[in-house]
Amino acid sequence: MLQLEGLVRHFDGVCAVDDVSFSVERGKVLGFIGPNGAGKTTTMRILATLDTPQRGDARIGGYSVVDEPEKVRRIVGFMPDYAGVYANTTVSEYLDFFARAYDLHGSTRRRAVENIIEFMGIDELRDRDIESLSKGLKQRVALGRALIHDPQLLILDEPAANLDPRARIEFRTLIRELAADGRTVLLSSHILTELAEMCDLIAMIEKGRILATGTVQEILERVRQRRILSVRLAGAHDGLERFLLEQPGVLNVHEISGRMQFEFSGGDDEQVALVGRLVDAGFPLLEFSARSAGLEDLFIEITGRGVQ
Amino acid sequence: MSRLQALLAWLDRASDWLSPIVVKEVRQIVRGRDFMSSFGSCLFAGLLVAFFGAGDALTGEGTSGRWTFMSLMTCLTILGLAVVPLGAFSALRNERMEQTLELITLTALSPRRVVIGKLLAQGVKLATLFAAVAPFIAMSFLLGGVDFVTILIALLVLFLWSLWASAAGLFLSTLLKSRAMSGLVFIGVGIMALMLFGISRPLFFFLSRGAFVTGTVFGVGPSPGQFWWTLAITTTSCVMTMANLVLLAENRLSLPTANRVTALRIGFFAQTLLISGWFLTYINEPPGTESAAIAFFGMIGGVHLAAVAMFTVTEDLIVPRRALLQMQRPSRWRWLLAVFGPGGGRGAAYVLANMAVFLAAALIFDPPALRLRWLVAICAYICLFTGVPTLVFRVVKPARPASVPLRAGLLLLLSLALLLPDILYYLLWQPDLLGFNFGARHLINPFRTLANWETVETNGWLWVPTLLGLNGLASYGLLIQLGRRTTPQPVTAAQGVAAAGEPGSAPAVH
Repeated sequence: MLQLEGLVRHFDGVCAVDDVSFSVERGKVLGFIGPNGAGKTTTMRILATLDTPQRGDARIGGYSVVDEPEKVRRIVGFMPDYAGVYANTTVSEYLDFFARAYDLHGSTRRRAVENIIEFMGIDELRDRDIESLSKGLKQRVALGRALIHDPQLLILDEPAANLDPRARIEFRTLIRELAADGRTVLLSSHILTELAEMCDLIAMIEKGRILATGTVQEILERVRQRRILSVRLAGAHDGLERFLLEQPGVLNVHEISGRMQFEFSGGDDEQVALVGRLVDAGFPLLEFSARSAGLEDLFIEITGRGVQ
Repeated sequence: MSRLQALLAWLDRASDWLSPIVVKEVRQIVRGRDFMSSFGSCLFAGLLVAFFGAGDALTGEGTSGRWTFMSLMTCLTILGLAVVPLGAFSALRNERMEQTLELITLTALSPRRVVIGKLLAQGVKLATLFAAVAPFIAMSFLLGGVDFVTILIALLVLFLWSLWASAAGLFLSTLLKSRAMSGLVFIGVGIMALMLFGISRPLFFFLSRGAFVTGTVFGVGPSPGQFWWTLAITTTSCVMTMANLVLLAENRLSLPTANRVTALRIGFFAQTLLISGWFLTYINEPPGTESAAIAFFGMIGGVHLAAVAMFTVTEDLIVPRRALLQMQRPSRWRWLLAVFGPGGGRGAAYVLANMAVFLAAALIFDPPALRLRWLVAICAYICLFTGVPTLVFRVVKPARPASVPLRAGLLLLLSLALLLPDILYYLLWQPDLLGFNFGARHLINPFRTLANWETVETNGWLWVPTLLGLNGLASYGLLIQLGRRTTPQPVTAAQGVAAAGEPGSAPAVH
C-alpha cells in the first residue's frame, strides 16, 4: 500500500528527511516515532502531497506522490497536528464542505457526512459552531474530515495529543476498527506505550534517518532480552555507579529520582549473583526491582535523548 | 414533505453544481460581522439618500434622480473597490494563516478552482450589496434626471471593476506569507494603483479611445460611437487582466513540481493579442490620432512585453519532471503548446512570439518608418536587458534555481544603465556643469533613448541600438538552445521510483 524509496528533503541546507525508506502493507497500522525535528511531520507532509522531496519518491496504492499527486490525494486522508477549522461554520457544514471538495455529489455526499457523524459519534455536535468546540472535539471532527472521502491510507500527525484518557481509549479502538476495515494507518504519537498497543509496525526516526523498523513484537522482543533493574540504597549512592559499571552485563547506568537504574542482559542466576555482590561490597541495599525493557527504553537508547 | 422542505431539498441538490468554495464562503460571509455592517451601511445610506432625494423632488425640477444616483454609486464604489476587495484579500490570507488552505489543497480542488471559487463568493457578496441598494436606485430613476441605460451600464461597469479589484486582492494575498507584510503590500499596492490611475495617460487614452482627451489634444470630440468603443475596451481589458490575476494567484498556490506557467503564458499571450487588437482599431483614424495611438501602443505594449520578458526568460532552465511528463502526453495541440511550456529556454521563445505579434500589429497598421523602427527598438532593448544578463548567469550556473535573484539582478542592471552614463561622464570628464541633455552616452539608457528617438535617428546613432538589439536577440537564441540542452528528457511514469526527482526538480520553496 505504501512504499517509500530514498526520500530526501532539505530546508535551507538542513536535511530534514535523509534517505527514508520503508513500506507498509494494506490494513496495517504503522507508528512513526521520533523526537522533535526528527523529520516525522516532513515525511508525512510529503506522503500527503503537501510537500515535494528533492530526491526519491513514495508510492501510495501504486501512485507516485511526485508525479501523480492528484491521484494520491483521492486515496489518502491526512490529519495534521492542527485542527484547521473555519469561523462561522457548523460541524455538519464543515464536513459537507470537504465532502463537496472531494467531488462527492448529491445523496453520496449526504450519506458520507451522515456516516462520518455516526462513526465518530458526534451527532450531538452537528449544529454546533466548530470554533466553539474543545481541542479534543475539534480533533475528532478533524479525523472525521480526513475520513470523509473513504481513503485507503490515513496519515495522522500526533492525533492523540489533545485527547483525554477516555477519548484516547476510544481513539485506539477507532484506529483498530479502521485497520480491520482494510485501511492502512500511519500515525505519529508522543505516547509510546499507546503506540505499542495500537500499531502493528514501528518506524523510529531521528535527524531525518530511519533508525529502526519492524513489527512491534519484533522490536519489543529485541529489547525485552534486557531487564531494567533499579536499586535504592539506605544512604548515599557514592561509588555505586562505578561498581555497577564494572559488573558483567550491566549497561546504561543512570540515576532517576533517587534510584540507580540500569540495563542488565543476564538471566535470573546472574541477577541473583549481582545482588549478592552488591551486598558483599557493603552497599546498604534498601530496595531492588526489575522490569522488562519497553518501547520507551529502546527509543531512549537509540536516540540518546528524551522522548518529545 | 412541506413546500419549504421541498424547496430546501431542491436548493441542496442544485448546490451540487456550485463550487464548494462558493457554498462554504457564502455560508461564512452571511454570518460574518463584516457583511452585516456592509449590508447595514448600504441600507442606511440608501434610506438617507432616498429621504433627501424625496425632499428635493418636491421642488419639481425633476433632476434630483441624478444626484441621488451619484450618491448611491459613491457608496457602492467605496464598498466595491475597497471593502469587498479587502474581504477577498483577507479570505485567502486567513486560509493561509490558519493553514486551512493546506487542507483544501489535499482535496480534489485545484488551485484554480480555489481562486475562482473565492472570487465568485466575492461576486455573490457584491451582488447582495447591490441588491440592497437596488430599490433606492430604482427610486432615483423615478425621480428623473438619469436614464435607465446609464444606470444599467454604470452598475455593470462598477460590478465588473469591483470583481477585478477582488481578483487583485486575492492575488496580493498569495504574495507573502507574513500577515503584517501581506497587509503592508495590500496597502502599498492600493496606493500605487490610485496613483497610476491618476497619472496613467496612455492607459486613459486607450480606455477612453479619445472620448475624453481627444477633445483637447487631438481635436476629435466624443461621440456615441466612441462611448461604446470605450466601453468595449474597458470591459475587455478588465476581463482579460482579471483572468490573468486569477492565473497569477493560481501560480502562487500551485506545487513547485506542477506545470505552473502554461496557463499563465496563454493568458498573457492573449493580453498581447488584445493590446494589439485595441491598437488596430485606430486604423484609418485622422493622422494626429494615429500618431498618438502608435505612441501609446509602444508604451503600453512595451511595458507589457518587458514585464512578460522579465518573468519568463529568467525562469529556471530545468523543468520539474512532472511538468515534463504532462507535456509529453499526446495532444493535438502539443506542437502549438510547446512555446507555452515551462522553462527559461521556452520562455525566451515565448517572448519572441509575443514580440512577433506586437510587430505584426505595427506592420498591419503601417506607421511611418521612423515610428516602426521605434517599436522595433522597444523590443531590442527588452531583449538586451533581459536576455544578455540571463544568458551570462545561465552559462555559469545552468542548473541553479535562481529566478528570483536573477529578476532582482535585472532590475539592478537596468537602474545602473539609467544612472551610470551620467555618473561616469561626471567622474571621467569632470565637466564644470553636469548636463542632463540627451547625448550619445545615454544610448544605453532605454527610457531616454526611446523618448528621444528622433534625435537618435537624426544624429546617425541608429547603429548603437541596432547592435545592442542584435546582441539581445542572439542571447535569446542562445538561451533557447541552452534550454533545449539543459532540460532532461522526460521519463515515463513506468520508470517510477528509481528515476524520481532529478536535482532541482523540486526547488525548496516551502
